[in-house]
Amino acid sequence: MSNFLSALFSGVSSGAIYSLAALGLVIVWRGAGVVNFAQMGQAMFSTYIASTLIINGYSYWVGFIVAILAGAAVGALMDLLVMRPLSNKKRTELLSSDSMRAAIPVIASLGILGVLQALAGIIWAAEERGFPSPVAREGLTLGDTVMPFTLYDFFVIGIVLITLTITTLFFKKTGMGLAMRATALNQEVAKLSGIRTNSARTLSWAISGAASSLAGLLIAPSSTLSPTSLDLVLIIGFTAAVVGGLNSPIGAVVGGLIVGLVMSFVNFYMTPEDVYISILVLLLIVLIVKPRGIFSGKDSRRV
Amino acid sequence: MSSKKRHSIFRKSLTRTIIFAALILFTASTFEAYNQSQLSLVLIYFIGVLSVILLTGTSGQLSLGQGALMAVGGYSAALTMIHLQYSIWLAVLAAMVVAALAGLLLGLAAARLSGPYLAGTTLVIALAIPTIANRFFSIFKGDEGLFMDSGEPPVWLTNLIGEISFEEWELYLVLPFALLALFFASNILLSRTGRVWKSIRDNESAAALSGINFSREKIFVFVISSAFAGVAGALYGMRGIVAPSVYPVALSLALLTAAVLGGIRSIAGAFIGTIIVVFLPDWINLVLGNFETSTKVADYLPALISGLLLILTVVINPAGVMGGSHHHKKK
Repeated sequence: MSNFLSALFSGVSSGAIYSLAALGLVIVWRGAGVVNFAQMGQAMFSTYIASTLIINGYSYWVGFIVAILAGAAVGALMDLLVMRPLSNKKRTELLSSDSMRAAIPVIASLGILGVLQALAGIIWAAEERGFPSPVAREGLTLGDTVMPFTLYDFFVIGIVLITLTITTLFFKKTGMGLAMRATALNQEVAKLSGIRTNSARTLSWAISGAASSLAGLLIAPSSTLSPTSLDLVLIIGFTAAVVGGLNSPIGAVVGGLIVGLVMSFVNFYMTPEDVYISILVLLLIVLIVKPRGIFSGKDSRRV
Repeated sequence: MSSKKRHSIFRKSLTRTIIFAALILFTASTFEAYNQSQLSLVLIYFIGVLSVILLTGTSGQLSLGQGALMAVGGYSAALTMIHLQYSIWLAVLAAMVVAALAGLLLGLAAARLSGPYLAGTTLVIALAIPTIANRFFSIFKGDEGLFMDSGEPPVWLTNLIGEISFEEWELYLVLPFALLALFFASNILLSRTGRVWKSIRDNESAAALSGINFSREKIFVFVISSAFAGVAGALYGMRGIVAPSVYPVALSLALLTAAVLGGIRSIAGAFIGTIIVVFLPDWINLVLGNFETSTKVADYLPALISGLLLILTVVINPAGVMGGSHHHKKK
């Protein structure tokens, strides 16, 4: 029973982080039509920035906020320097085919991932470092019994809930959020109605960069930090986004929780090595049974 | 297709292959041992890059899992050599068949997927497949890996051309496979099959309307491309060891980088891209030799530069070095 509860709580807590990673992917997919494989590279980069600040004596929260801003800045730069020039390209022979038009930004994002990882290696060397957590990560005690959850689990879940609320409010209640949703739905129509679609796209990249940096910051205390340490989170985040539906922010959250729970139960009841295979199996099942994900709406993009 | 036309395609591919063979043999004769070994690596990668050219460049399906298929080939070759005492040649053949079967399974799943779904799923496969080696330790020996050995050059060869070094033997072992791969890839691209695959890439609906069963063709591309990857993986393992660390996700990305840099639709481009990816670290060391640099810069500079080259290529001319500039072509 205690095994079950431990698996449940650690699944929800890590699932909340995967939700953020998946949300980052979904925002860029909706906003710019690109699955951004560089995303956790951006997160790794900002987490290193936070780590460097904290090592140099700044408080956790200074590092936290600077890292999220840095994540947003890197996301916006990626759009301005690489993705916008790509999407504005004339229809050259290669790009005129739909499949290659879709493939080129993905290839570019892989190039960016490589550059970010190499830069992090050069700047911060390859040595793995730990990352502090703002609250205790030992099991909470109630009287004499050690509970199967930690204060950090609550911290993570709290931060993720706050972020999701802010994001939802931004998309539903602000003019810029509305403009971004319109751009995601139909870029041509949005442009004709006077929306600056280019800025809306850049903003998607920035918000996604911030969300994934937050995921990186939250996951770093439970693993070590190295230039490639977040690659796995990208794959988990992608699976979560597909499980929920690449188009759906709510789907991203639910998908993240499902993947977190599956991984946590596999980890507790089977062997840790099965985690990778279980992600693959989960992904394949969803792709076969419900290829557009659980929460795919009627406006889903035909690909 | 008339037999005359088929004949001309055959002859064109054969000419390309013979010129390629002469070029490699001449270059190898001017190289020292280290560069000869690098040249073998170029040929092995070249086979892998051809698998990307066929799959992504020709049929438009972006796969990030070619490294996993190379691992399938590598393990098949190692296991048949260890347990069935297969010769190297038979082991590579076995690797090709098993990888093609894996490609069939992958293709059946991939025919339903497109664009980013396919790229992401194959990336998950690239990460998940090598972990099987740890899961079934008794067969695959986990991280320790399986040892593979290219053996001694056969007597008839040493009688024919005299004693040869290990590096030369490695090269002569790899070259026939690279030539076969080049010949087949060239034939496919020039033939009707190649045009059918391009029609899948360029316009799925039009291809379907003109009576092409594009699901079947997509699966077919996967099988052929995986066979190439399997051969490359077996030869790659023969350089010493078959283990999860030999076939990381980075290998899949290196193949894709080579294909894109050279020109994702061109065989000549595949070769040029492969040379860039394999020799880049050496060239950088050559340049860095003149400067005082720390080891961490030297370690990461190749990755940094190949990443930058990849980004620049897609932003400036997505068709790559050999793609020519089609910017002014009216469509």
